[in-house]
Amino acid sequence: MSNDLHGHHDERARPEPPDPMEGERADAWERMAAAFRAAAPRGSAPPWLEQRVMAEIETLPERSRLQRALGWLSRPAVVRISPLTAGLAIAAVAALLLVPTRPTPPPATNGGEPAAANGTGSVVYVQFVLEAPTATSVAVAGDFSDWQPAFTLTDPDGDGVWTGRIPVQPGVHGYMFLIDETRWETDPRAERYQDDGFGNRNAVLAVGASS
Amino acid sequence: MAPVERTDEQVVRDVLAGDRDSYRLLVRRYGDVLHGHALRMAGSPDEAAELVQRAFVQGFKKLHTCREPGRVGAWLFRILANLCKDHVRSLRRSDVPLAAVARALPSDADPASDAAAAEIRTRVWSALDALTPEQREAFVLKHVEGRSYEEIAAVTDLSVASLKMRVHRAREALRGLLEEYA
Repeated sequence: MSNDLHGHHDERARPEPPDPMEGERADAWERMAAAFRAAAPRGSAPPWLEQRVMAEIETLPERSRLQRALGWLSRPAVVRISPLTAGLAIAAVAALLLVPTRPTPPPATNGGEPAAANGTGSVVYVQFVLEAPTATSVAVAGDFSDWQPAFTLTDPDGDGVWTGRIPVQPGVHGYMFLIDETRWETDPRAERYQDDGFGNRNAVLAVGASS
Repeated sequence: MAPVERTDEQVVRDVLAGDRDSYRLLVRRYGDVLHGHALRMAGSPDEAAELVQRAFVQGFKKLHTCREPGRVGAWLFRILANLCKDHVRSLRRSDVPLAAVARALPSDADPASDAAAAEIRTRVWSALDALTPEQREAFVLKHVEGRSYEEIAAVTDLSVASLKMRVHRAREALRGLLEEYA
């Protein structure tokens, strides 16, 4: 979006045609939207912004070399996998699941990454992860909790990455995150999604049975 | 030979390597667009500037979690957008001073504004106070800042279908308040 952001430096809105509406209604809406664009407050960032940001940053403790190194190792990264590679990986995982070995790690996914999960009896502990730098609380709700936000994630080091291991019954579950007890968010890193019938989409978690 | 401008990705890498002064390049690149959004969302110019400052500082602290350094501008915008929504949510409805903002700031679209035009602008813009923070965000991004649904989805983590519904509800709420335009 950075290019798009640059494109908005001149603060001018690019009027787009409204969603398809009929005749007069569309005209009326366009007049109203134009009124809002004309009324919108505009202004550049104050000249002192850069100085104040940099002054505040100067007061922050410097990250140690170790922190930097660990940060590099643990930094989330987007991994692009070709359909062929993904297909081979899925086939390999499927083959592993079909081979009766003990102990078998429970197959669970969360956020497109192998989840750290341990089987205990008939439940599987699934690692949930959400990057929410401005959140003050994050909870998970889904089919496995009757959509009650009963499980909370934690961010002990304050880096904005919230995590938690939650017991989930084997099966396919829809779930969402509840941020600050008010805002529902779909897991942006889920591998699959489903429409919830109310205009939103749930992330989908597939949890295999532990042996 | 003119110096080659560093890409966002290079700047992020340099800052994470310890060259924190390079962070000012990101403030210069994205300060105006972030401030514009904060102004339209949150309140007075002073509050908008404070929110943008907080967003940049928070972005610096969390920079190592930025998953796509080449899109750090969108990432910073996302931090700001959340701060703006939290800010609006924290205000009582009657405290939201958007009407004062509309009155105080000139509009490019109406340079020769007179008192009557200013009054109309104030009335139109203050109608946004009736929206929830989420509706206001979706409406401002879509119809005031002119972003595409796909761009907004990248910032808000919502599906395009959900965004369309949110914008539709905002429109319906506003239509009732501004009947002379509808």
